[in-house]
Amino acid sequence: MFPYLIRKLFRDFQGEILALPTRTIVFLACIGLLILPLFTKNPYLLRVLTLTGIFAIYAASWDLLAGITGQVSFGHALFFGVAAYTSALLNLHLGLPPVLTIPLGALAAVVAGLVLGLPGLRLKGPYFSLASLALPTIMMGLVFTFPQFTGGELGISGITRLSTSRIGEYYIILIMTMGLALAMWKMATSKTGLIFHAIREDEIAVRASGLNTSRYKMLAFCTSGLFAGLAGGLYAHFMRVVGPSTLEIVMSLQIVVWTIFGGIATIYGPIIGVFILFPMMEYLRVVAELRMLIFAAIVVITLRLMPEGLTTWVQDLLERECPRCKERNAFTRANCRVCGTGLDPGPNTNIWKRGA
Amino acid sequence: MLLEVQNLSVSYDTATILHDVNIKVDDMELVGLVGPNGAGKTTLLRAITGLVKWERDHKRGLRQGKIRMEGTVHFMGERIDHLPAHEIVQRGLVHCPERRRPFMEMTVYENLLAGAYLLNGKRSEFKELLEGIYHLFPVLKVRAKQVSGTLSGGEQQMLAIGRALMLRPKLLCIDEPSIGLAPIVKRDLFHRIGEIARSGITILLVEQDVAMTFAMASRNYILSHGRLVSEGTSQQLMQDEGIRKSYLGL
Amino acid sequence: MWEQILVNGLISGGKYALLAMGFALIYGVARIMNLSHTAYYMLAAYLIYYLNQSLAVPLPLAYLLAILVVLVIGVTTYHYLVAPVREQFTAVLIVTLVMAIVVQEIIFIFFGGHFRSLPPLIPGTTTLAGIKITYQHLLTLATVLVTLTGIWLLLFKTRLGIAIRAMAMDREVANLMGMPESRIALVTVAISVGLAAISGAMVAPLLILDPLMWMHPLVVVMAAVILGGLGSIKGSILGAFILAFAEIMLVFTLPKLAYLRGSVSMAVMLAVLLIRPEGLFGIFMEGER
Repeated sequence: MFPYLIRKLFRDFQGEILALPTRTIVFLACIGLLILPLFTKNPYLLRVLTLTGIFAIYAASWDLLAGITGQVSFGHALFFGVAAYTSALLNLHLGLPPVLTIPLGALAAVVAGLVLGLPGLRLKGPYFSLASLALPTIMMGLVFTFPQFTGGELGISGITRLSTSRIGEYYIILIMTMGLALAMWKMATSKTGLIFHAIREDEIAVRASGLNTSRYKMLAFCTSGLFAGLAGGLYAHFMRVVGPSTLEIVMSLQIVVWTIFGGIATIYGPIIGVFILFPMMEYLRVVAELRMLIFAAIVVITLRLMPEGLTTWVQDLLERECPRCKERNAFTRANCRVCGTGLDPGPNTNIWKRGA
Repeated sequence: MLLEVQNLSVSYDTATILHDVNIKVDDMELVGLVGPNGAGKTTLLRAITGLVKWERDHKRGLRQGKIRMEGTVHFMGERIDHLPAHEIVQRGLVHCPERRRPFMEMTVYENLLAGAYLLNGKRSEFKELLEGIYHLFPVLKVRAKQVSGTLSGGEQQMLAIGRALMLRPKLLCIDEPSIGLAPIVKRDLFHRIGEIARSGITILLVEQDVAMTFAMASRNYILSHGRLVSEGTSQQLMQDEGIRKSYLGL
Repeated sequence: MWEQILVNGLISGGKYALLAMGFALIYGVARIMNLSHTAYYMLAAYLIYYLNQSLAVPLPLAYLLAILVVLVIGVTTYHYLVAPVREQFTAVLIVTLVMAIVVQEIIFIFFGGHFRSLPPLIPGTTTLAGIKITYQHLLTLATVLVTLTGIWLLLFKTRLGIAIRAMAMDREVANLMGMPESRIALVTVAISVGLAAISGAMVAPLLILDPLMWMHPLVVVMAAVILGGLGSIKGSILGAFILAFAEIMLVFTLPKLAYLRGSVSMAVMLAVLLIRPEGLFGIFMEGER
């Protein structure tokens, strides 16, 4: 039994990961991140990477809602902030351990997702985008109005650590990032994900096909809230201080930058975007005065060269799509690895097929 | 030859809307362009007046399909298919769009002012044109101060045609003027369009109502599934058994 | 207290109205959601501060110069950074957001995060119909009124104004009327940035300047535009005044809950949108689903 399972695992690995250059790169990057602590104990580096992992979950959850389902929300910080505050308060006042506070915080974010879903069902396009700014602003007002409860401007501090060691925290968060990213990617490529894509493209057509789009949109809001909430809870326990900055407009808008930089509507795009941009921002602190300017220049130039985002650009460079079965193939192959159809040797221009 | 369209093909991503369409419009003609829903009539007009090109250049949102346009369009001997829409209008090829589309928030008078944009503020010419339009469509004068979104369908269509006339067209392309109108309003409207034609403006009339178009037009084109299926004078087409069956219900 | 609410509401509403009108104009004509809009407002205020306090330029001249400089910066950045990516909604968001953050960072570099304030253009107070009011407030009010009227006349009485409004309502048909889109878009951007600069200049002496002062107005302005209905200019003005009065009322009647002022205006916006999803004067944009 076991040898069979191992053989199957190996075959799947070969067929699903090694067959595609981009997946191989991602796989190697994951391995690299997992064994990194063996080589360096630099606390600053580990801290930056841990935070990157948290924000990667957060950005991918936005992509699930905005990129995949087309509900471009500018108020995503609501989920993050609500979950962070909930986790922090439960931990501080009831003394619950992180194992409980993080899921409960995420649950609160799911409820927030339901609340954001109310205008989401009724408002279209830019109306929703701008209206969604409202909820984090309202929450922020509440935080400042009840300082004895929320800590006001200074926030809540003294939250339990996730783990006693820095490396423990690093592993917990990184493995969660990978697991949750995989979960989101699976969701986006599942049948439900297909319906999400369809809602973005033409909601009326989906409705006409007999699907209850309201229910699916609500589902998108709630799952997006769940994942963003998990990120928020992790953030609270990792930073051990939760302040109003988690609800700020910048918090909502910076994920837009990360996601579009990485490639929207892909799930892996925002994650890779965060893993590139966030550490870069941290290390640019060396030139504190100019760091925003450098950052701005990099983002703007990248978008000029790769308007569809970094990952899509790399993918189009390294892989091409089979004209018959739409399966992706490495650029080195002359025939499709599934159906054997000859592949067009020219540069790949079809960027329609996503996440397959 | 006023307008000459040669081998025009338009495709949106993988769907080809027009295949190799050839059309000619001569001076002082009233040419009908008929065909069923989705035949590509509107797309043909949009391609001629530069809107397809505009759409291609300006609406490439996130991951939208590619719009392709091939073939040539000549207007008064000049090739215009590479020109932007607003310059095509300056040459006297005016498009009165489908579903009328007045500027909903503006009054009737302001809509006509918007149509007079190219007059460059020449008061006297504007007055003259306005008189002409009010004479043709007296109801517009009555409604001058009313917000155009509150007009009835027929009135909106008159406004749209009036606004197009403000541009002093040499060739006026009217897209489905009769859509959604009551038969009596429709007849009245076609009567006015006939008057415009008699005043010396060439008209390319796109319609679904085949019988009424044939009654007015000197020559007709029939478009189906993106291809020209036949052309000729109304009498010629009426004699064709197939056309009578499929388009006139006779 | 009510007269205080009236005066402050009018000033705050006027500030938001100038900003919202500019935001709505750009969105209407070019479909650009300009997240750097209030950054120009902040930039104008800081430039006046810099010119007056560091270079000792007399105040009226400083106002004029600041508005001009912001205008030039706004139009140049639009032309070279925003216009090339204009058709891509998401790219526009990023570019304009990044521009706003760049302005914020430059201000951080030059002025630091300290709070700063400007002397009034005309010091002193007067009593008007029983209400005590500073000359600066009066001046701001007058400027807002004059600017709003000016823009109103421009939009409703001139050829350019007709074209701008036509563009905002239906870009495609505006093209068919022979209106050159990119040129009108550029002019609109200039008007919009100019409005932001004037608004920043006028309220600069009434505010405390800090490099994050662009965020709250941005949120309120977007809320006002959406509340009034995208594409409608009178809607955005009305929306701005509604939100400003909601905020000021709260601050004056329940000073303890002043922190909730942003929340109240947001709640007002949400409530209106839940009843009328297209805003107060929103129009259905045909041909753009």
